[in-house]
Amino acid sequence: MSTSAIVDHNVPPGEPPIIHHMDSNTAYGAAKLGMWLFLATEVLLFAVMFCSFAIMRYYHLAEFHDASHHLNLWAGALNTAILLFSSYTAAVAVTKAQQGDNKGVARNFGISVFCGFLFLMVKTFEYTGKAHHGMFPFVWNSHFYEYKNFLGIYYCMTGLHALHVIIGMVVMTLYGIRPALKNRFSGKYYTPVELSALYWHLVDLIWIYLFPLLYLVG
Amino acid sequence: MSAHTHTAHGSEELNYLNWKTGIWSWLTSTDHKRICFLYLFAIMIFFIGGGIAALLMRTELAFSGSQFIKDPHTYNVLFTMHGVFMIFLFVVPGIPATLGNFLIPLMIGAKDVAFPRLNLFSWYLYVVGALIGGYAMLHPVDTGWTFYAPYSTTTDTSVSLMVFAAFVLGFSSILTGLNFLVTIHQLRAPGMTWMRLPVFVWASYATAVIQTVATPVVGMTLLLVIAERTFGAGIFDPSKGGDPVLMEHLFWFYSHPVVYIMVLPAFGVVGEIIPVFSRKPLFGYKMVVISSMAIAAVGFIVWAHHMFVAGISDFSAKFFSIVTFLVAIPTAIKVFNWVSTMYKGSISFATPMLYAMAFVFLFMVAGTTGIYLAMLGVDVYYHDTYFVVAHFHYTIQGGAVIGLIAALHFWFPKMSGKMYNETVSKVAFAFLFLGFNLTFIPQFVLGMDGMPRRYYDYPAQYQTLHTISTIGAYLNGFGYMFALVNLLWTAKFGKVKAPRNPYNSVSLEWQTQSPPIHENFPETPVVDKDPYHYGTATHTHA
Amino acid sequence: MLGLLGEQGSEFAHKVDFANDIVTIISVICTVAIVGTMLYFAVIYRQRDGKDHETPMIEGNNTLEVIWTVFPTLVCIWVAWLGYDSFVDLRSPPADAMEINVTGRKWAWDFQYKNGKKTTSEIVVPVDQPVKLIMTSKDVLHSFFVPVMRTKMDVIPGRYTYEWFKPIKTGDFQVFCTEYCGNEHSKMLARLKVLPRAEFDRWLADDSEERKLAALKPSDLGKELYAGKQCISCHSLDGTPRVGPTWLKAFGREGELADGTKYKIDENYIRESILNPQAKTVKGYPAMGMPSYQGQLSDDEITGIIEFIKTVDGSQKIDVAPEAPKKSAAAAGATPVERGKAIVHDTGNLCITCHSIDGSKLVGPSFKGLWGRQEKLSDGSTVTVDAAYIKESIWKPTAKIVEGYGPVMPAMYEGKLTDENLNDVIEYLKTLQ
Repeated sequence: MSTSAIVDHNVPPGEPPIIHHMDSNTAYGAAKLGMWLFLATEVLLFAVMFCSFAIMRYYHLAEFHDASHHLNLWAGALNTAILLFSSYTAAVAVTKAQQGDNKGVARNFGISVFCGFLFLMVKTFEYTGKAHHGMFPFVWNSHFYEYKNFLGIYYCMTGLHALHVIIGMVVMTLYGIRPALKNRFSGKYYTPVELSALYWHLVDLIWIYLFPLLYLVG
Repeated sequence: MSAHTHTAHGSEELNYLNWKTGIWSWLTSTDHKRICFLYLFAIMIFFIGGGIAALLMRTELAFSGSQFIKDPHTYNVLFTMHGVFMIFLFVVPGIPATLGNFLIPLMIGAKDVAFPRLNLFSWYLYVVGALIGGYAMLHPVDTGWTFYAPYSTTTDTSVSLMVFAAFVLGFSSILTGLNFLVTIHQLRAPGMTWMRLPVFVWASYATAVIQTVATPVVGMTLLLVIAERTFGAGIFDPSKGGDPVLMEHLFWFYSHPVVYIMVLPAFGVVGEIIPVFSRKPLFGYKMVVISSMAIAAVGFIVWAHHMFVAGISDFSAKFFSIVTFLVAIPTAIKVFNWVSTMYKGSISFATPMLYAMAFVFLFMVAGTTGIYLAMLGVDVYYHDTYFVVAHFHYTIQGGAVIGLIAALHFWFPKMSGKMYNETVSKVAFAFLFLGFNLTFIPQFVLGMDGMPRRYYDYPAQYQTLHTISTIGAYLNGFGYMFALVNLLWTAKFGKVKAPRNPYNSVSLEWQTQSPPIHENFPETPVVDKDPYHYGTATHTHA
Repeated sequence: MLGLLGEQGSEFAHKVDFANDIVTIISVICTVAIVGTMLYFAVIYRQRDGKDHETPMIEGNNTLEVIWTVFPTLVCIWVAWLGYDSFVDLRSPPADAMEINVTGRKWAWDFQYKNGKKTTSEIVVPVDQPVKLIMTSKDVLHSFFVPVMRTKMDVIPGRYTYEWFKPIKTGDFQVFCTEYCGNEHSKMLARLKVLPRAEFDRWLADDSEERKLAALKPSDLGKELYAGKQCISCHSLDGTPRVGPTWLKAFGREGELADGTKYKIDENYIRESILNPQAKTVKGYPAMGMPSYQGQLSDDEITGIIEFIKTVDGSQKIDVAPEAPKKSAAAAGATPVERGKAIVHDTGNLCITCHSIDGSKLVGPSFKGLWGRQEKLSDGSTVTVDAAYIKESIWKPTAKIVEGYGPVMPAMYEGKLTDENLNDVIEYLKTLQ
């Protein structure tokens, strides 16, 4: 396969993979710049949601006000705490990688991924709880019809965020934990750890905005 | 694995086209030059598809009354198909993903783009998007490419699939833009300072910024359309408490800047061609660069000029009208600089130069008719008439597509290693240019007479102009076919081998062999002068 | 001048055409100049005999750059002003404009006049009379375009847009739908007939079959709804403030909202206030005072109410409280529970306008399960609902406010309902468990 011409992974652990078309410093800079740009696009993706939320809230003030009281504040707060903690462990993982502590990377990313699971479980309980009360955004559902606009945007925003949580977990597992178990990282090479952590911070950051908007402001 | 590595044998020297062979070596190639061809091949399918849809529409519209298309739904599907194919599948990836891929690394002296595998992944995303879009056309969408709610959220065609296809294509476009931004930032050869970048690279840079920043917005908007259709999110559909004008805002926030994604690289192409064939440095290089970036920046705050009669407040209408005029100024600056470059030049008229000069004319028409549409009181009249149709075809076809065809001729020797046939190319150019103007000048007049767009049928008073326009469309289509078949034919069967630098250009991409080797340059080039270091006389006064 | 846009039918058409002519002249001159220069250069500086001649190394010229930055800027400013100027005319209907309601639907235009006359696909207006079209859509986006009048506006479901023109000549003109709306988009046409004044008046007053088929005048529909939908309990027609602002000469009125911003009452303001009352609160009125009528009023009914509000000038007399409660209850001669029920359900007393008996939340707390309930008050204290509390709440409604509700109940029952009446009411409330 000609892809092998681009990246050669057959290097001793701890050394950066040899990329044929640029030196490893440039590769590190490029990867980081690319990730930041990608995060910018993610922010813009959610910006549309925030914008729509603001406008829908303006149109349906009373509905949003009432409906937000039906959300479980404690579940939201718990999830916030979980994600904040997982962000901390992700940051620790980067430091461990820079120190060449591959076990530390695997352990801390492992905790972050586990926190992601916890987050999703809490979210699932919230979703099923609401579904149990008939709080679907579905137009044909008459019971909570009065909250349809709030629920519509609530499910869109939290659903897309949950998808990002899942992607973040996969990224940390594939590009952080798996290579760490093979002792790939060192002070010379820790790019994937740093980028995965960056992504996870973004996922966390978006939730930090979602939580007050949906649960507290209403 | 079917890839074989050749060594140079006989007279054939090793290059990126022949160093590995077999279809699989192409489909898995991360070489930016090969990915250019992958894109070229894919977008041409949709160019032809969209073109056929256009010709079918023009045939139906040749005369008043129903012709061969018996029901309006089919017509509506055709213009949706034309729009979706041409915009999302042809023009948006058109120059950035093909020529951008081929030229950016060569022009900045890099071996490849920053993320070659991501680059290939972008192409596969494009293919996936294209396949979904094609599949959606089995139960064809009739919303127009704008997907305005609440029509798009209520019609029972496969809008969700089509919109999802556009989302995937957008994702591909984001990744390409991101890749180019990083490439231009990180991989410039030694000595290739920012102010020595060829204007095509600058234009691609501005394009990539727009791709990266604007596309996520439309991506999310399209996902919300799907949410609206599948579970009634109540965001865009007024019957569920949503706001259709919000959808228009979000849509145009992307879809206005997207016009610059289409046309900025074409500006870059013209900026490359004119100096070479005038043997003169590009006049006012700095202003050309600044104006590219200014267009990209201002392009983000003018979107609602598509919505002057959409029910936005009068205050917003006034604001967006004024900022729209800001785009006119950098565009005018570019035109002045191109023409001034020809002053006291030694001008030769190879096909690319003819296209570039045609571009200047077509773009003057596009730009000045844009002024009509930026003027509030006048736009109220022209909005959604054939005047708008003609205007944006002058911008997109006269601008972006002509730019692409010009570039395909200009860089043809570098890409294929063969020389195209000048005579045939010039005949094709004549058909194309005349046909294009014959198609769209009558449409300006139709617009002035108040003919609304997206009409399957029209009152008889408009018939003569419609008939002329249809004749023009056939000539135009014939011209494109002629030009493309000519290129394809010479690439395959051409006998004239291209020299390294047939136009005697000073730009970096011409300094390596034609076609280039796999990683472009035998050794990393060092740049020590401007990209347009032409001019032989010693006196430098203007 | 150039007559590019064809026949001029409205007063401001010449202004639009003037702007269009100016920009056409500028465009043609610029295009010819630039393309001419380019061709001139191409000819005189052409390569001769296939050989390059010497070329100067000109990299730019700052003076020229400044000139061709400033010159287009000035032209743009002028042209932008021309467009702006004509647009202001297009968006400023005079106060005496005749209003016609326009409804777009797949795939026809409906028109309704103030006197209730309805037409489809044909709009008739008198010449020399400003006409303002108040437009909305039943389904998807449409756009109302009258080429000769040089005006166009999108028609949007769920809100009102307007356009206006003053016809300057009689005739029969084409109307197009210019926003794609589906299969028959290109057949969604209408005729605009401009008639001499007298002929128009005859047409409008025409008592033909069509006229008889026509429904109620929109403002009469609104008047019925005013009483029928309990608008009356909070909004007066004679200027007296009730729970909500009066409707007397309300249309077009400007004032201040609770948050200090200004508002002006127009069609969209009224529509929003009916469907989403919490969006804007007029200064001095309770924030959560009005229940939403979302889903309870059709678009036509909302239009009717708007039309009715436009007519309120103090001459209308509709009043509440037909004196009945005591009589009916006494006449019933029934048990206290039955008498209480009669009082609560009497439309003159308006209790059930704001208090449900089925547990659903309206403006005030529901009556269901009220008796004996622990209510949390807005000052944080708790109160048990007993006879004293109920009496106080009826006579002095703002003394204690339950958390989550506004101080909006009118103090109109003291003197209207006797102590005896209240005891009956309490007996009735006890039964609503």
